[in-house]
Amino acid sequence: MHYKIALAQINPVLGDIEKNLLKHEEFTKKAIKEKADLIVFPELSMTGYKLGDLTMEVALPYESDFFKPLLTLGKHIDIVLGFVERGKDKNSYNSAMYISEGRVKSVYEKLYPPTHGMFDELRFVARGKEIKTFDTKIGKVSMLICRDIFHPSLMFLAYASNADIVLVLSNMPLRGLKGEKPAIQETVEKAIDTYTNFFGMFVAYVNRVGFDDGLGFFGGSFVCTPSGRKLAYAGLFDEALTFAEIDSEEIFKKRQTFPLLREEDMNIVKLNFDKILEDSYD
Amino acid sequence: MTDLSLNYEVLSKFLVYFIKEEVQSNKFNKVVLGLSGGLDSAVVAYLSAEALGKENVIGILMPYKLSSPDSLNDALLIAKKIGIKHETFEITDIVDQYFKKINTTDKMRIGNFLSRVRMSILFDRTREYDAIVMGTGNKSEIMLGYTTWYGDMAAGLYPIGDLYKTQVFELAKFMKIPEKILNKPPSADLWPGQKDEDELGAVYRELDSVLYLYIDERKSMEEIISLGHSKKLVQNVIRRVNSTQFKRTIPPVAKFSARTLGIDFLYPHDMGR
Repeated sequence: MHYKIALAQINPVLGDIEKNLLKHEEFTKKAIKEKADLIVFPELSMTGYKLGDLTMEVALPYESDFFKPLLTLGKHIDIVLGFVERGKDKNSYNSAMYISEGRVKSVYEKLYPPTHGMFDELRFVARGKEIKTFDTKIGKVSMLICRDIFHPSLMFLAYASNADIVLVLSNMPLRGLKGEKPAIQETVEKAIDTYTNFFGMFVAYVNRVGFDDGLGFFGGSFVCTPSGRKLAYAGLFDEALTFAEIDSEEIFKKRQTFPLLREEDMNIVKLNFDKILEDSYD
Repeated sequence: MTDLSLNYEVLSKFLVYFIKEEVQSNKFNKVVLGLSGGLDSAVVAYLSAEALGKENVIGILMPYKLSSPDSLNDALLIAKKIGIKHETFEITDIVDQYFKKINTTDKMRIGNFLSRVRMSILFDRTREYDAIVMGTGNKSEIMLGYTTWYGDMAAGLYPIGDLYKTQVFELAKFMKIPEKILNKPPSADLWPGQKDEDELGAVYRELDSVLYLYIDERKSMEEIISLGHSKKLVQNVIRRVNSTQFKRTIPPVAKFSARTLGIDFLYPHDMGR
């Protein structure tokens, strides 16, 4: 299957969901015009990142009418966006929403919101509990949010559920400016090169640009093929709508020539893992 | 020496984006800054002009009677070279008026007063120009506390606040700031003959290595000494950093209510752009 994915590397306005909604509509309309099948926005694309006490004030249930304009556009294109979710359990979450055929198809709550150094997420949001892998018109999709991808266990779970593509919504602040590329960008690219290569799937990484209180988000969004090849690159620091043409046949080819998932024995993983868990409570 | 090198091409771009966005998110288009004739204010003026356009950068030169004439000339050189609007406002009469009534020879006290008078003038000018004050402090002096609290530290943004002086120097070289500015010894010029490196007791390259190891790499005093830095210097740097933390934080508030500034009233700085 061939399809076109749009990476919406935007700079949201901190705490202003109305303005950000307009930006989502604007980028989505452009992507529809370019006949993209899917548009992916960054983490917390509807709210901005460094919300602090604003978190609860911008939180929305995923069924909120606020998203209606995007559900309408979502009849023509699948849309993935980041928002603060006002959970049914009365917690707030850093979440990703997948819109398809005019309705919300899936909502994923970030599993590992970082809380150390410059990060303060768990002060304001709760942790999700579940990896979501679901069928879409472009194949099996998993969504992960930023820090999640530094946990190979989550990428492994997406792989174990036989995902064709992992959509990574990111708000990765820049650090490390010694090398040719920002150090954190190197880290992300190396990780995703490795994941795609061994897990034989696509990864679309969408990072925002702009600044929240001095934290600078570098952008650098890209798509990586199952062979670790970069398909599209949105560049550093500027807003961009970048397109990638994906041929999902590459997954099949890769998994035939390098059949790791076929070899994988989930029972062995499970048995060993259960033992490790058991031992760790000794 | 510790490797403090940076990719100055990407860094300068990053700082230009920072200035553009943070000035605008504070709802301003213009900035004012004190142009001292030194390296830090020159670098911030260059970056600001690139980010906002030279017509939106106003340099204020504020000499005192004991200031080095070179400082004024170098500041003028910078302003003209970039083509920014600039004005000279001599602070001698304001300062002397005060010290006519206050009898002191304490250089530190006079120096701090000069710095705070300059701060008052800059903030007054922001009303006139509808502008924000750009901070010109670098990471070395801010971390060493070698800055005047509510004097040169007072600003809306710190664009070079995460760069050690050695890195500011390299960035200035990359940006092709005139040699004359690059080559003079760093000085606050608060009294004749004052030099940063005399007062701080070491050259910046060495101070910065120790600061970097202590702050960025979280090495202990013993570890830094074992890497070949003199015990006296390391102790001095660490004492300076630790004893000046009050300058880098909001003052303690006696908390008793549900939400208290500086403690748990945690709205972002950039909200409501």
